[in-house]
Amino acid sequence: MNDIHLIQEIERYLDGEMSAPEKEAFESLRRSDSAIDRQVTEHRLLLQQLRANGMRKDLLRRMDSIHAKAEIPVAPPALAPVVPLRSRRRTWLNLAAAASIALITSLATMAIMQNNAKRSYTSKYEDVRRVLNNIQRSQNALIRDISKNNPPLNPGTYGGTCFAISRNGFMVTNYHVIAGADSIYIQNNKGEAFKAVSIFEDVSSDLAVLRVADSNFRTPALPYSLKLQPSRLGQEVFSMGFPRDEIVYGMGYISAQTGFNGDTLAYQVSIPVNPGNSGAPLLDNSGEVIGIITGKQSSSDGIAFAVKSGHLKRLLDELPKEKFNRRDLKQKSQLGGLNRVDQAKKLEEFVYMVKVYN
Amino acid sequence: MHIERDQELLHGLAANDDKSLETIYLENFPAIARMVMQNNGSEDDAKDIFQEAMIVLYEKVQEGGFVLSSRLKTFLYSVCRRLWLKKLQSSSLSAPLFGELEETTAAEDALEAHLERDRQFKQMEEAMGKIGEPCKTILEDYYIHRQSMQDIAERFGYTNAENAKNQKYKCLMRLKKLFFAPYK
Repeated sequence: MNDIHLIQEIERYLDGEMSAPEKEAFESLRRSDSAIDRQVTEHRLLLQQLRANGMRKDLLRRMDSIHAKAEIPVAPPALAPVVPLRSRRRTWLNLAAAASIALITSLATMAIMQNNAKRSYTSKYEDVRRVLNNIQRSQNALIRDISKNNPPLNPGTYGGTCFAISRNGFMVTNYHVIAGADSIYIQNNKGEAFKAVSIFEDVSSDLAVLRVADSNFRTPALPYSLKLQPSRLGQEVFSMGFPRDEIVYGMGYISAQTGFNGDTLAYQVSIPVNPGNSGAPLLDNSGEVIGIITGKQSSSDGIAFAVKSGHLKRLLDELPKEKFNRRDLKQKSQLGGLNRVDQAKKLEEFVYMVKVYN
Repeated sequence: MHIERDQELLHGLAANDDKSLETIYLENFPAIARMVMQNNGSEDDAKDIFQEAMIVLYEKVQEGGFVLSSRLKTFLYSVCRRLWLKKLQSSSLSAPLFGELEETTAAEDALEAHLERDRQFKQMEEAMGKIGEPCKTILEDYYIHRQSMQDIAERFGYTNAENAKNQKYKCLMRLKKLFFAPYK
C-alpha cells in the first residue's frame, strides 16, 4: 500500500465511506500496526482542525454580512460615578495590602537573618546519630496501643553504629548515640538483635563502651587491632556503618590531624558520613582501627571527624580486667594484605547497628 | 418559554442555519455594544468582542453536548464581559471595573476551552499560510468546500484528476508537517 493510497483509505475510513467488511479489515490493521494507527489519529486531527478553521471563517463572513443590519446603540455616556469610587477604594486596599506585605517580608527577613547568624555559631558541628522515628509513627503507635492493647514493635528512637572490641560482647560506640537511653539493642547485618547495656561512658572524648547483656555472647576472633601510633595526613581510610538498616561502606582519607575547632582528640576525615554513622570504626589500609566516627561539619560536605584510637585505648585500660580481655584487640590484624572487598566482608560481622529507646 | 426558544436557536446555529444566526446576532448585539461602549470601547471593539463570543458559542454547539444553563442572552453577555475585561487589562493597567452581574460558570468553562481552540486555530492558519498557493486553495476546496477532484483539476488546469490528486497529497503532507511541527 503506497502512501497516497493509505491516505485515501484513511480518509474513506474517517468519512465513513467504507463498507462494513472493509471497515473491519481496516480497524484490525489499525490495531496491529501502531504506525498506521498514529497516522489515522493525526490525519483526523489535521482534517478536524482544517475544517474547524473553514467553519470559523465562514461564520465570520456570515456574521459580517448580518452586521450591516444590526442596530448600533448611540454611544451613551460612560457610567462615571461607579467606576472611580470603586477604583479609588481599590487603590487604597492595594496600597494597604502592599504595605503589609512589605512589613511582613522585612520582619521575616530580619528574623531569618538573626536566626541564621545565631546558628552559624552554634551548629557547625553535628552528630551523626540517626533519628529513627517521627511523630507520625509514635502517633500511630499510640492509636494501636489503645485500640488493640498489644504493644507495638518500637523501631527505636535513635540509631548509630558500634563495633566489637572483644570476643565476649564488649562494643564501643559514641556517647552521644546512647546518651539518655532507656534501653539499647544492637543488631548485626543479618538482623540478629541483642540487648546491650552501657558500662562505661566518657563524655569528653564522646565514647561509650557497651556490653551485650547475654553473657554467653561470643564472636569469632576480631580481625582488626587497635593502631596506637597517630595516622598521617593523606592516609587512606575506610569505614562501615549503619546510616540505614543496611550496612554501608565508605572510604576517604585523613585530611587533618585535628578535629573540629582544633580538637586534638580527633582527626578530620574526608569521608561521606550520614546520620547513623556515629560510632563506626575507621580503619586504615592494613585493617587497623585508627578512630571512631563521631560527627561532621554541618556547614560543608565531606568533612567528618573521628576520635583517635589512642583515646579508645585509654578508655579500655580503665575497664575491669577480669571481664574485658585486652588481648582480643592486640592480635595481629587479619585484614592486612587483603583486598578491600575481602576486608569489608570480614569487618561486616563485627559492626553492629545500635538502636536506642528512650 | 425563553429556554425552549434559545435551545431551538442553538440547534439552528449548530446546523449552520442562517436564519438562526441572524436572529441571535441581531437580538444580542445591541446589549453587548452598549456594555462595551459604556466601558471605553468603540463600535468596532464591540463588533470584535461580540463576534468572538459568537465563535465561542458556535464552536461549543458544534462540538455537541452543550447544555445552556442560563438564558442565551446571559451566557453571551458574560462571555463578552469577560473577553472585554481581558482586553482592557491587557491594553492598559487602569482597567475600569464595571458593575458586577451574575456570573455563569458556563461562560468561564467555555472561554477556557476557547483559549485552546483559538491556539489551534492560529496554528492551522499559520500552517496554511506557509504552504502557499495553489496548495492552500486546493486543500480548502477539497476538504472545506468539498469540491470534487475533477472540478479542482479543471480549475487549476491539471490534465486529469489523478494529477490533481497527487498534488493534493503533496500539499496535505506539507500541511501536516507544518501543523504538527510545534508538537514534535
